[in-house]
Amino acid sequence: MGSAHVKLSRREVLGIAAGGVAGAVGFRYMALRLAGASGDVASAAGAGGAWASPLGTSAGRAAHLLRRATFGYTAAELDAAASMPYPDLVDMLVNQQAQPLPQVADATNYETVVRAWYGHMATTAAQFPERMTLFWHGLLTSDYRKAARLPLVLQQNALYRSAGRSDFRTLVNAVTYDPLMIRYLDLEESTAVAPNENYSRELMELFTLGVGNYTETDVREGARAFSGIRTVLVDANGQRIQPPKLKGSTTAAYVQALQQLIAQGASFKGVLARGQHDGGFKTFLGHTGSLDPAQALDIILAQPACAPHIARTALIQFCTPAPSTSLIDSVATQFRKSDYDIKTLMRAIFTNEAFTAPDAYRSLVRGPAEYMVATMRALGSPNLAAMCVRSGAAMDQILYDMPTVAGWPSNQGWVSSGAWLARVNFAAGVIASQPSFPDPVDAVHTQLDGVVGPDTATVFNASRSDGDRWYALLASPEFQLK
Amino acid sequence: MITRRDFMVSGITATGVGIIVPPVFAKSVFAATIEDVHNDNVLVILQLGGGNDGLNTVIPYADPAYRQARPTIGIPADTVLPLDAQIGLNPVLPGIKKLYDAGEVAIVQGVGYPNPVYSHFEGLYIWEHADPSMQQTEGWVGKLLAGQLDSQGHPLTGCALGQASTPAELLAQNATVSVIDSIPSYVVQGGAGRRVAAPALYKKTPGIYGALFDGALGTAEYGIVALADAQSRYTPSVTYTPQSTVYGSKNSLATSLQLTAEMIVTQPSVKICHVVLGGFDTHQDEDARQNALLAYVDSAVSAFMQDIANHGMADRVVLMTWSEFGRRVVENGGKGTDHGAAAPIFVVGKPVKGGVFGEQPSLTKTVDSGNLQYNVDFRSIYQTLIRDWLRADPASVLGASFPELPIIETA
Repeated sequence: MGSAHVKLSRREVLGIAAGGVAGAVGFRYMALRLAGASGDVASAAGAGGAWASPLGTSAGRAAHLLRRATFGYTAAELDAAASMPYPDLVDMLVNQQAQPLPQVADATNYETVVRAWYGHMATTAAQFPERMTLFWHGLLTSDYRKAARLPLVLQQNALYRSAGRSDFRTLVNAVTYDPLMIRYLDLEESTAVAPNENYSRELMELFTLGVGNYTETDVREGARAFSGIRTVLVDANGQRIQPPKLKGSTTAAYVQALQQLIAQGASFKGVLARGQHDGGFKTFLGHTGSLDPAQALDIILAQPACAPHIARTALIQFCTPAPSTSLIDSVATQFRKSDYDIKTLMRAIFTNEAFTAPDAYRSLVRGPAEYMVATMRALGSPNLAAMCVRSGAAMDQILYDMPTVAGWPSNQGWVSSGAWLARVNFAAGVIASQPSFPDPVDAVHTQLDGVVGPDTATVFNASRSDGDRWYALLASPEFQLK
Repeated sequence: MITRRDFMVSGITATGVGIIVPPVFAKSVFAATIEDVHNDNVLVILQLGGGNDGLNTVIPYADPAYRQARPTIGIPADTVLPLDAQIGLNPVLPGIKKLYDAGEVAIVQGVGYPNPVYSHFEGLYIWEHADPSMQQTEGWVGKLLAGQLDSQGHPLTGCALGQASTPAELLAQNATVSVIDSIPSYVVQGGAGRRVAAPALYKKTPGIYGALFDGALGTAEYGIVALADAQSRYTPSVTYTPQSTVYGSKNSLATSLQLTAEMIVTQPSVKICHVVLGGFDTHQDEDARQNALLAYVDSAVSAFMQDIANHGMADRVVLMTWSEFGRRVVENGGKGTDHGAAAPIFVVGKPVKGGVFGEQPSLTKTVDSGNLQYNVDFRSIYQTLIRDWLRADPASVLGASFPELPIIETA
């Protein structure tokens, strides 16, 4: 490739042409508009400048939506998306049917499961349901350690993947009986005599209502309502069977026995053990009754704080780092009116004018998993899943191993000196692993909308190989944003 | 249930806005001594994430109410390491006991604040921002760094070690924080070209995250240079014993404290080091879990203090522990305890005036149905360490004045 072809011109970089979008031949949109708009990079206070939004164009909106609703795209995928009217593109995405994870070699080893998940995120055509699987994992958190040697991570992963076809009421009921959640938040040994408060508290504080919308008495009464939930192994017909014993067996023999049962269709399942459940009267969030888990969840979902809590969480992940109360209320109202239909929630976010307003452009920071999978998809190289598994920790995201029950940081919370070194070093590792590269200039336009800052342009233009150019692109601030 | 490094930035954005922006390094950042660093004193902050059970750490072993409240997970009276006729340390803390006997441990009893909260994330917010009203948006250490210890933005004055994200207590406008998981990994990988290209990508980034991104990579860039020969200038004088997994906590405290020693020994500008061990949210199986975690704290802190002393720096270093809350007086049905309120904290080091300060709260006259009533405001500890140890002004950090504790030896 000739160097003349590779250079990003000053005009491309700076968007000097007034209006910035339609002008330059061969480029979909352009460029950075610095505050003061003199076009003089050296003299402009870079940090004070704003990105020039390409969201006025259909291609710009399509790329923006794909960066948020999916794990990224190739040039061909962007072209297809950009050819659709925006509302149709939103509908197409939210109506995608999830594709199940391919067969996992060892479901009792969480790293194997996570590697398979990274591969699936990179390859599945059903990108939106996969992105939502990660969203629910970040909200309804868990920890692989609690799965011990049972295939519970895989099972919860499948549950969250299926949630897009349902509503939040169905999901949160299923989560309450999910074997990994049961263990994670200590429902397993919660009894009528000594209810454990952990699930009751985090369910209301983090998963559904937010702090300030329940009392300490509600936490204790809720713990009584959720007491007695237990995990059992059932066969393919739903009949309870005995799990193999780990005690007195070898690990290998245990895993083999378990895998044999799983292969025959067995799975773990949460049930309410009536003998362990506190069936007495409770007063929970203002309602008095004998209250089993489903009734307690109905009471939670009837609280006015529930829909705004979910809406706010989703808006911070998908729309804006600091959603206004009116935006939260608008999305929450639609969510609540649809009886917590998840497609309605996400459609309300993607079609809200705040989503495509100029200041929405690059207003969110890609999480580490998003960044890594977007890298695989941009390169058309889905074989980096093992590298993703290894690289997440230094960027502060290990799937099924979150820092706290509140999940991962978001947006500015991802940024630290160490985490940013880890990001540029991931790019270096990826480049070193690739035998060849797609056209990097095309990628500047498809992946970065042609809107690049002076630093990225300088480093890109000084690069001597396509690998170096791709490094500049993947390690750039632009590629960390969505 | 909380795991790993409990209590990094938890993604709480209750106030939503406020992107924290680090400073541009305007002046020479490599000066060994910096004009506005008042002295060579270093504060190491050890966060015990998840809510450490104070009653099974400093045990009121002579109180019948303790035995009654903790029938299965109570520490037997004949095993505690007695501090006096009333209280004793958990038997897994022999190293801390030895330091206590040498007069190098202050145990402050009943630390908390009015109207306690029982949420991890509110509790964290309160301790991190030194503000029970949860109005402050900047971390107390961040304010101290930006306003007093490090107004020039030296990248290694405030460090979060053995971690990947910036702890909220160190976050503030104009606070520069180096977040270093390990020194060998704190490099730009991929060769000389990448070492030039990576920082060049982050000089004048536009947009709302521009200064934040540039500050992160700029901080790393300067830190990498400063740390280039660190490993040739430090050899641990003791054996730190890392444990890859302690009851759901993957955080390797021993490794983090070894890194802390290395930073203190090789980097004269280091003033604040933050390390964390999570896993203390012992709703279940507390007897085994907390004992394992505390034993790990005991061995790691003992090794660290010995290492610092062997490097001739014992006079420079004070370590304090904190946790977002203690736990419920009465144990639950799963051999665990639920979220509680006041608890003891430890301040350790040769400059510390040893002893027990504050009072053990009553186990029977409790608040909020079974939680301990505090008698020392946690901000008293902050105020004491800011003024008496770091020799800085606490008022601009804490916004009010609190009674000080005589826990630092006066020269």
